[in-house]
Amino acid sequence: MLWIAIRMLTGDAQKFYGLVFGIAFSTLLITQQLTIFVNLIERGASGVYNVSSADIWVMDPVSRTTDIAYAMPATALDKVRSVEGVAWAVPHIRAQASVRTGDGDLEGVAVIGVDDATLIGLPKRMLEGSTEVLEQPDSVIIDDVGATRMFPDQSPIGERLELNDQRAVIRGIADAIPSFTSTVVLYTKYSQALNYVPGTRNRLSFVLVGAEEPAQAKALSERIEHETGLKAQTRDEFAKDGIDFIIENTGIPFNFGITVALGFIVGVAIVGLTFSLFIRDNIKQFGALKAIGVTNAKIRRMVAVQAGLVGLIGYGLGVLGTILFIWGFASNPTFKGFYIPWQIPLISLASVALILALTGWLALRNVLRTEPASVFR
Amino acid sequence: MALDWKNLSFPRQILPTIAVVGLLGAAAFILAGLPDRTLSDPAREPPHAPADLAAQPRVAGSGVVEPSSETVQIGSPLSGLVTRLLVEPGDRVGEGQLLFALDDRAVRAQLREAQAAILEARAAIAEAQSARATAGRQLALYRQVEDPAAVSRAEVIRAEGDANAASERLRLAQARLQAAEARAGSARTEIDRLSIRAPMAGEILAVNIRKGEFVSTMGGGGSQPFIEMGQTSPLHVRIDIDEEQAPRLRLGAPATVSPRGAADRQVEAVFVRAEPQVVPKRSLTNSAAERVDVRVLQVIYQLPETNGLFRVGQQVDAYIPAKGDEE
Amino acid sequence: MGTLLDTSAIGGCNPEAAICTRGVTRDFQAGQQTITVLHGIDLDIRAGEMTFLVGESGSGKTTLISIMCGILWPTLGEVKVFGTDIYDLGDSELVEFRLANIGFIFQQYNLIPSIDAASNAAVPLIAQGMERHEARTRAVAMLEKLNIGDQANKLPSQLSGGQQQRVAIARALVHEPRLVVCDEPTAALDASSGRRVMDLLREVAVAENRACIIVTHDNRIFDLADRILVLEDGRITHDGREMPEGH
Repeated sequence: MLWIAIRMLTGDAQKFYGLVFGIAFSTLLITQQLTIFVNLIERGASGVYNVSSADIWVMDPVSRTTDIAYAMPATALDKVRSVEGVAWAVPHIRAQASVRTGDGDLEGVAVIGVDDATLIGLPKRMLEGSTEVLEQPDSVIIDDVGATRMFPDQSPIGERLELNDQRAVIRGIADAIPSFTSTVVLYTKYSQALNYVPGTRNRLSFVLVGAEEPAQAKALSERIEHETGLKAQTRDEFAKDGIDFIIENTGIPFNFGITVALGFIVGVAIVGLTFSLFIRDNIKQFGALKAIGVTNAKIRRMVAVQAGLVGLIGYGLGVLGTILFIWGFASNPTFKGFYIPWQIPLISLASVALILALTGWLALRNVLRTEPASVFR
Repeated sequence: MALDWKNLSFPRQILPTIAVVGLLGAAAFILAGLPDRTLSDPAREPPHAPADLAAQPRVAGSGVVEPSSETVQIGSPLSGLVTRLLVEPGDRVGEGQLLFALDDRAVRAQLREAQAAILEARAAIAEAQSARATAGRQLALYRQVEDPAAVSRAEVIRAEGDANAASERLRLAQARLQAAEARAGSARTEIDRLSIRAPMAGEILAVNIRKGEFVSTMGGGGSQPFIEMGQTSPLHVRIDIDEEQAPRLRLGAPATVSPRGAADRQVEAVFVRAEPQVVPKRSLTNSAAERVDVRVLQVIYQLPETNGLFRVGQQVDAYIPAKGDEE
Repeated sequence: MGTLLDTSAIGGCNPEAAICTRGVTRDFQAGQQTITVLHGIDLDIRAGEMTFLVGESGSGKTTLISIMCGILWPTLGEVKVFGTDIYDLGDSELVEFRLANIGFIFQQYNLIPSIDAASNAAVPLIAQGMERHEARTRAVAMLEKLNIGDQANKLPSQLSGGQQQRVAIARALVHEPRLVVCDEPTAALDASSGRRVMDLLREVAVAENRACIIVTHDNRIFDLADRILVLEDGRITHDGREMPEGH
């Protein structure tokens, strides 16, 4: 019986493609918008994720994100090192600075000073050059998105910048996820960063901590807070802080929420209407089948198979469209590092299932209400 | 239904196949594209607490290596031109060894002048002595004459005057000799002061003067010490402990010290003393603008012999056992 | 609801009757009013005959035929089809009973437009759970019996009206039902085609152990009936070999 259901569905090409389009469009809208949304707000955590080796970030109690940090006295580093369970701790400075480019423009940059000895705090991968270039005097490493922004169509290697009246030479390009504002990021040594950033009393923005037992990072962060009076966040907590900051301070969740809801509503509308029309067109056939002796359970299964096929094809095409979109824009700096969290296709799958269940149920109600006796009229 | 290419239906077979293949591809793409957020070990080993302190109360501090004598900044009592420079950084010197000498030509001229004056004074003494002898003999001759008419009274008085004058001249000449000798001694002392010698045995750490340079006792001009030296065997390390951590410190316990950049090479340092004064933290970044409101307790530790691993002025990370939490 | 009819008083069914109705009454609610469409129908339909059920629109013949083939519950009365009291069955048992025992030929054929003639004819077999190829093979055999075996792979829309009806007939007979119900088989056909269809029906549908009920008001074919039942205002007013005078 089920293949008959599928034949009935595909026999009406107009409605079949209408249904597939509705589901595909819905899936595309939900998946693609959610993907962009998630990636956009995760930009708030890029500063955390770019540092690949720190289990815990220690900061002043009033610091909120990687970009909003109140500096601590230099002895905070030793305080943190004194805590049991801390395998290592290194200083980390993050500050805003203005840089004068070759053609005289002023550009706001983020200067990130990493530990002089170990270079902990640099992104995991380099696009060009090696991290050793920081051993040379006045060296900075620029992030790749910043490089394309500051030096379009040319290699930034060897370019000289002026930072706080100091010379800085770009000697490497790091492969990093850009921040929410796509600020140009310059990585340099901690001691060098102190010179590049106009002086304030305290300079140490963060202490990056490696735990003896990374699995116990949460307990360690609580111990650090207890013993030093500073704020300690595990990597995931601090990443979430960055994301929450963007959620609280921008209209992004609301806007994307609207689009996703629209995707859902459009899906329900197109699919619901088309499915109802399809069922109405075939109501006589369903009636005949019921009279001949097809049980309601079988009818339900037939409609479910029809919904399933439409769902499979529409969902597949919608996800495929999203993939092609992300893939197609992968080289665009705006979309650098964009990925599709595996949860999102599942969310859109659930939405599609909900759309089909809802519309299928509405359509099926008509069929089940049809009296077999109506076929004699 | 057997696969029959002619009967292959686009919506029933090809589209679902595209959808399934697309979904599989999408799954692969999504799984491959998930960001790599795994934690990685740092490429270079950061300083960390020694194994036996890892699970115990401890205090961490950073410090600077210094000579056990602390750094001696050699000065000069006199200003002048450097004419001789006898040491280089890294030289080991004994106590009293000449380090550098200033231009002593003027003083040496004075010395020669004084020596000439000594000779002159000695000549004058000799001359005065012979004059006194002559006058004495003449006076004695007059005194032996019984006949008062033979020698006039005036003759005798003149002879007595000559003898007295000769004695006075001798004393004057002797005084001039003493004065000239004193001048010569003073010039020799000056010459000695122009040669700067090591106040103790140790290692030359820095030489900031060159031959031909003018050194001034007035300071000024960079005000660098002319020569820095210190006793570098053994080396000490001065560790800053945050004042909040200081009460936890177990004074007297050995510290584990590693130089910056070679965190894997940890050595055990022996406690020497804690400075009685808690001082404002001296910035290790050498930034002139740095002002810090925290104070630190400075603890001195003696480093073992490590064959060049530690050098004076080097920054180190240190871990010191702390008192247990029960206190 | 007025008085309950005591069906036992009317008497039991003849065990040889293919269909037996006793006191079948059907009410419809129309707003506040209750309209009684059938008034205690007692009928015996015999196997091996072609029984015509004739009546004007609104006479209740659609209701009666629906009740007789188990797709509409009577308000009162009982219906036995080959000895089974079909309204004693549960819902799904009744559906299974219809599937196994009754073949339908609808006035508008109600073929599924997106599957070919053979598949359409095979629908009851497939619904019974028969494997698709075997069902099609048997359906093609039935189509050949109806002389349209060469059209087996065509879609209904590619067939003429007569051919579609033959497909509908094939669908009604393919699973060898014991009761065939045929709703206005000739309504859309001209006189000669109508007669051909009726001849065909007589040839393939009428059998020793099979009852065949034809609902019609086409007076051109009354002469082909073995038995004619006339329904007027919910009551059987005539039961005989010929139509009564005046119709």
